[in-house]
Amino acid sequence: MPDLLGSPDSGRGDREVGVRGAGRGVKESLTASLPLPSATPALLAPHPLPHAPLLLCQRVSKWYGPVIGVNQVTLELRSGITGLVGANGAGKSTLLRLITGCLRPDLGHIQVHGHDAWSTAARRHVGYCPETDAFYEEMSGRQFVESMARLCGYPRREARKRTEAALERVGMAGRAERCLRGYSKGMRQRIKLAQALLHDPELLVLDEPLSGIDPVGRCEFLHLFRDLAARGKCLLISSHELEELEKLTDHIAIMAHGRIAAVGTVAQIRDRLDHHPLRIRIDVKRGPQHTQGPEQRRLAAALLKLRDVVGVELLDPPPDESVGPVVVRARNPQRFFQELTRLVLEEWYEIARLETLDDSTEAVLGYLLRGRSA
Amino acid sequence: MGESRSQAAAPELLHYRPWRGAFRPPAASVWPIARVALMSLFQKRMFWIIYVLGLLIFLLFFFGQYLLSWAQTQAGETEVQMGGWGRMNPRHLIQLFRGLLKLDGGAQTYYNFFSYQGYMVMIVLALAGSILIGNDLRFGSLPFYLSKPLARWHYLLGKGLAVAVFINLMTTLPALLLYVQWGLLESWDYFYERFDLLVGILGYGIVLTVTLTLLLLATASWLRRTVPLVMMWTTLFFFCRLLASALVDGLQFSPLWKLIDLWNDVSLIGGLCLNVQWSERRLGYQPPWGDAALVLGGVSLLCLIYLVRRIRAVEIVK
Repeated sequence: MPDLLGSPDSGRGDREVGVRGAGRGVKESLTASLPLPSATPALLAPHPLPHAPLLLCQRVSKWYGPVIGVNQVTLELRSGITGLVGANGAGKSTLLRLITGCLRPDLGHIQVHGHDAWSTAARRHVGYCPETDAFYEEMSGRQFVESMARLCGYPRREARKRTEAALERVGMAGRAERCLRGYSKGMRQRIKLAQALLHDPELLVLDEPLSGIDPVGRCEFLHLFRDLAARGKCLLISSHELEELEKLTDHIAIMAHGRIAAVGTVAQIRDRLDHHPLRIRIDVKRGPQHTQGPEQRRLAAALLKLRDVVGVELLDPPPDESVGPVVVRARNPQRFFQELTRLVLEEWYEIARLETLDDSTEAVLGYLLRGRSA
Repeated sequence: MGESRSQAAAPELLHYRPWRGAFRPPAASVWPIARVALMSLFQKRMFWIIYVLGLLIFLLFFFGQYLLSWAQTQAGETEVQMGGWGRMNPRHLIQLFRGLLKLDGGAQTYYNFFSYQGYMVMIVLALAGSILIGNDLRFGSLPFYLSKPLARWHYLLGKGLAVAVFINLMTTLPALLLYVQWGLLESWDYFYERFDLLVGILGYGIVLTVTLTLLLLATASWLRRTVPLVMMWTTLFFFCRLLASALVDGLQFSPLWKLIDLWNDVSLIGGLCLNVQWSERRLGYQPPWGDAALVLGGVSLLCLIYLVRRIRAVEIVK
């Protein structure tokens, strides 16, 4: 269903993301190997090679003694926003640290802009906003960000300019003189983001950037992330705030037990969950020539004849409605929707509402993680 | 705040200029790292209290030298009555004081100064270790550094530089001031004739700096918190000293047992740098300086190996 998956959504970050697949041993049906949706050339980052990915992880593994943190992860990003989701301990932060060069993989390799992620050259292209907000509490926000700017290799004057620009960008210019000790969680997040934006990196790796941010701040951050993506930056965002993440992007990588369990758009991943047929609610209006009871049942009977439908449930009508909705469970959503369209047109059903009930990121994540832990 | 928010909501108004200058090499990050560490230290009141105490020792030497020199210029040739001990030339008396107090601009003066200042340095380092490096590991600040274009070595060098700056602010720099003061008080010839002392001061400073810096970085990254660090530091430099003294001086064990006293080892090498003339008795109770150098070198190497492993394994902290 390329028309659904690739359709541009003005509310989400434009993306050019390639995901090669998952780690070895992951069930193939959960592994999305996706055709890349085409991106507007103007949105592409200025790469040295036109087709070289900005971030390339190839069969990356990392052990912590006997415990494996990341297991054979392969990932390729070019631009746009990608969400990284998974349960606690799934390996998200480890993967982010590997990408940012804070850790070195035991197996495989990671390249950023063609450089080994471990090298200092690669880190010039990466901005990292870690999850922890352990600062030097006696320093002011401005001092901290400026110190980080000096570490990026800028001379003092340029470091100051960039510090001011970054602080303005995260909305902290007027509050940066205060000691970090007195900052709220949200202000700390802003300072962390400012230090990540200092050198205008092409790849921004953000670990829980929305944690502790108030609703107004979230809107600002989401706007900022979209703006960065629109400028051709590549954002990899790890977050448990699935609702907010969905507003940003529909492209996610799901991690479980150190592996990439699934990658792609939410819809693509949902399509591949054969064991969890998609639940679709259909509210049908009563036609003038039919009575209400048979209308609902007639639709249910017709739906059951479709090859991808595995079950139909008849619900009681809401208080202000006379016809109850039908909830259908279908395996191959793409084909199902095609057949449903044909059915509706042929039989002249009047559909009042069509809603997929469990294709949100949260639902997909729930199915995947429950399935893996079972 | 509202203004800031409206600015954040309109990021298209803020543009980063593409950087057209040359980036400073990663090694240039060493000083900013050290500066941040030193700033954290300087913002602690306890640091200033101990630093002032340390300064008192310097002032004692500084004004002691000055006072004795001044007194010598004021003293006449006429002999004065010294209570019931007879008459004495005041110049000889001052010379005697200088000899007794070791305030004669000789090797022993600087050796004593380093020893006294060393105690203050120990106390501050034990208290400051967690601020300088321990907290980075304890609270997870390291990713901020390591995600920037610099290597782990630069981080370690930066932290080490901070410790080194502090140690030398307390020891080598004041010792050099004393050296200059003595030259100005006595004669310019002092700078030429006792150039070896200048080299000795620098040598002692280097030994002290390298050993203590590595030891502090290693113990602070291992223990991280202040209280365990103080306990470890006390064990290394106080109990080991007591034990070594009890074994060698009390129980007449081999002088090699003194090697477990790291401070004594540092003093031995420092004394060698300054070419201090030890008494025969003291020499009899001391291990050979070569063995002391080996111990210090070994300890420094162990610290270095541990630091490399520690920084590599920093990810396991979480």
